[in-house]
Amino acid sequence: MKVYVAGLGVISAIGNNVSENLLSFDRQEAGMGNITMLDTIHREKLPAAEVKLTNNELAALTGLSPDISRTCLLSLMAAKEALTDASIPDVNLLRTGFVSANTVGGMDKSEAFFVDFLKDNDKGRLRYVFDHECGSMTEIVADKLGIGNFMTTISTACSSSANAIFYAARLIKNNIIDVAVAGGADALTKFTLNGFNTLMIIDKEYCKPFDENREGLNLGEGAGYLVLVSEAVAETLNKELYCELSGYKNSNDAYHQTASSPEGTGSFLAMQGALKKSGLKPSDIDYINLHGTGTPNNDSAEGTAIKRVFNPSYPPMSSTKSFTGHTLGASGAIEAVYSVLAIKHGLIYPNLRFKTRMNELPFEPETKFVKGQNIKHVMSNSFGFGGNCTSLIFSGI
Amino acid sequence: MPLKKYITSSCFIHNGIVIKDGIKIFENPDVDISAFLLSIYQYFKFNYPKFYKMDNLSKLGWLTTETLLTNTNLTGNYQPEDTGIILANASSSLDNDIKYFNTIKDVPSPSLFVYTLPNIVIGEICIRNNFKGEHALFIQDFFDVGFIVKQVSYLLNKNILQACICGWVEVLGQDYKAVLYLVEKKKGKKPLLFSKKNAERIFNDFDSVRLLI
Repeated sequence: MKVYVAGLGVISAIGNNVSENLLSFDRQEAGMGNITMLDTIHREKLPAAEVKLTNNELAALTGLSPDISRTCLLSLMAAKEALTDASIPDVNLLRTGFVSANTVGGMDKSEAFFVDFLKDNDKGRLRYVFDHECGSMTEIVADKLGIGNFMTTISTACSSSANAIFYAARLIKNNIIDVAVAGGADALTKFTLNGFNTLMIIDKEYCKPFDENREGLNLGEGAGYLVLVSEAVAETLNKELYCELSGYKNSNDAYHQTASSPEGTGSFLAMQGALKKSGLKPSDIDYINLHGTGTPNNDSAEGTAIKRVFNPSYPPMSSTKSFTGHTLGASGAIEAVYSVLAIKHGLIYPNLRFKTRMNELPFEPETKFVKGQNIKHVMSNSFGFGGNCTSLIFSGI
Repeated sequence: MPLKKYITSSCFIHNGIVIKDGIKIFENPDVDISAFLLSIYQYFKFNYPKFYKMDNLSKLGWLTTETLLTNTNLTGNYQPEDTGIILANASSSLDNDIKYFNTIKDVPSPSLFVYTLPNIVIGEICIRNNFKGEHALFIQDFFDVGFIVKQVSYLLNKNILQACICGWVEVLGQDYKAVLYLVEKKKGKKPLLFSKKNAERIFNDFDSVRLLI
């Protein structure tokens, strides 16, 4: 039983839809810059990759209230694009599910609430904390999409939306639903910016994934969704399918709250398991979309794990976080969209700002935007806090 | 018909004493919590360097579990997925949260920050013992024994777990109390039925149990 990708939607710091994102790759224009949307003491000090639309603009585009969490606004933008792209005649005639991931929920609005509430416990707009929970984001967006058969929320740190995608695929394979809109969203918040800053893993310059002199990550925000369909639904569609989700695996380091094990045990098991699931050999992979956050710890652990899986011949690879920043719960899905587009258009994305190969690695990432390649199989890595590691493999049809 | 479940081991750490299966096995009163926890670690010659990095909640939960599991063969008897942990406490990770908050004024401490979640204690116990079963930590004002018995019974009755470590692990400042039970479907040497009454007795009434040293 195969599961196919029939639709794509994405919003990130490098564009508000799929075509804008592709254009930014073509121009090699990164999305980082001075923080202008988020109200934070770190403005001018820490760069971030913000989506270039205000909450009011996003609200006007989605039809949601501007008082709704930015996570929700971003989620609906990308989910709508994916569903429109899939052009399924009537999703209500099928068992359609919405599997959506996020890590911050409505934290942005909760932060706004607490400004007034801390000064005076009788003040603060309760409306702002009403949708604090991660699950609220999913419910509001599912409602707007008209999806009521099945919905669930996954929150496993930075592997959240990769897990959402393969969980949705499993729901389809087990004949629980026919169609899934699967992915995730996360907005920038004080909570995440201050938290990552506390961990001392934010680069004050633009991040340099997989570079020997990398100093940390830049945070980003956005959303990405795939429309996944069963074989039966795929046969009825009057459009070309993108590819299939051929492999996936979730594994855990069980090493540290926020760090990967030095040997990259979790990421090694995730990549190896995804290959096994897809029935592919390491040499079949044409491109790896790295987790590649730019932190010393992640890139070293991920690189070591890649060495263990792929030695001695390495496919082209890059971290698109050098464009989008690390979008946390959204990153797995945003990068899944890029992986699918790599297959469709024969693309290998550049790893911006890479200069020096890491001492411990015998390979380095691609630095140019390469087009017109024959890309059949793409591996996409997403590794999260708590050691939660996921690899997905997409395969052309 | 729900199957019978048994408390096959228990451990109680409170006010400077450690009691295992109703028997006092260590005492070190009149020292502060950090010194007390370290003294347990040293007395029983535990060897787990990561212990030193933990916050007090994790240290307490970890030490109670180590003691609870002494002379048991949990990892030999069960698959990793078959052993779970269900805990409760009143103060979440507030003890460490306050310590972390006090560092924000200067340089926020990454090593304190990573313990600002209550369920990290479960993670530390799982990593130590390679447990991969269902787990949860509930925050409640007082130890709701009936609630815990219900939760754990459900997991064992439905075969979601074959063994479960459950109980109370609470730390706030110098106040601390941990009471953990190992619950299994098979009778131990001294079978004690896993019931609200028996769990409550172990939690509250240690004075009436034999206290030997």
